[in-house]
Amino acid sequence: MAAAAHDAGHQTSLGVDNRKLLMWIFLASECLFFGTLISTYLIFKGQSLVGPFPGDILDIPLTSTSTFVLLMSSVTMVLAVYGAQHGRLGLMRGMLVGTILLGTTFLGFQVYEFRHFGHVGLNLGTNQFGATFFLMTGFHGVHVGVGVLYLTSLLLGSMRRSGLGKERALWVDTAGLYWHFVDVVWIVIFTIVYLIPE
Amino acid sequence: MSHEASAGHGHEEHPPTTIRQYVLIGIILAVITAVELVVSYYPPGSLEIPLLLGLSAVKFGIVAALFMHLKFEHKIMTRMFLIGIVLAASLMIAVFALFTHDDTDNRVLPDREAITAGAGGH
Repeated sequence: MAAAAHDAGHQTSLGVDNRKLLMWIFLASECLFFGTLISTYLIFKGQSLVGPFPGDILDIPLTSTSTFVLLMSSVTMVLAVYGAQHGRLGLMRGMLVGTILLGTTFLGFQVYEFRHFGHVGLNLGTNQFGATFFLMTGFHGVHVGVGVLYLTSLLLGSMRRSGLGKERALWVDTAGLYWHFVDVVWIVIFTIVYLIPE
Repeated sequence: MSHEASAGHGHEEHPPTTIRQYVLIGIILAVITAVELVVSYYPPGSLEIPLLLGLSAVKFGIVAALFMHLKFEHKIMTRMFLIGIVLAASLMIAVFALFTHDDTDNRVLPDREAITAGAGGH
């Protein structure tokens, strides 16, 4: 098929698709990005002179729920990849919709949390905790938002007549890599910010 | 043979994981998160932080190996990702050293009660 021939043109001498390799290199660079943000948060942890302090306002049950939602979105994402790879387009589309909804729900939790913190007087300029917390979790939220748009574009593409078929499963696979990376970053942030005491 | 390596030779192979196994992995991840919460609410003394970091690393490994299919991919993908992680860890150590070296006198928790009392007195 034309699509298969087109995709075959992306193979490197290693037998690795260069688009997938590019995504892995991009994710490796993202490790540095989030590593810097997490380092900054840890350096200023416990150094705030004025409140609100993390122990006063962090709502662990709420964030645990949003963490569960993001974890489950990884399950739906991997099932979407499974559907694409096995030619089960209905499964792929359904799971993409599920992932988009779960990702949007996670963002809803984050918006609620940010607004609540604003109401109790914590913002970017309040103290070191506010500055580093909003920067780190905000950038993660932006990544989730980009992921939702990425998956939505795939879903819309799959509805075109010449859209995502089994031959182009790699597109979904690559998007899945991005989504799972956003999930593993949150696994680290959730532990460091919410679970480990100040 | 990895999926990508074989794909380059005209075959189509995918990770051998089934839908049932993926769902089971999701349940395991949720259970680990629940255990983390229990550890957080009922801390086992000095083991709390190592335990939480360990559980977090296990979740990270499960997602990377089984959901991101690193276990089944060409090794160059794993190497690329590891390079990023090692560089990030090095960067974190360097940043910590930069901000804490020769500054140990100031690396103590602030006396918030005194600050609050002082602010109340004015």
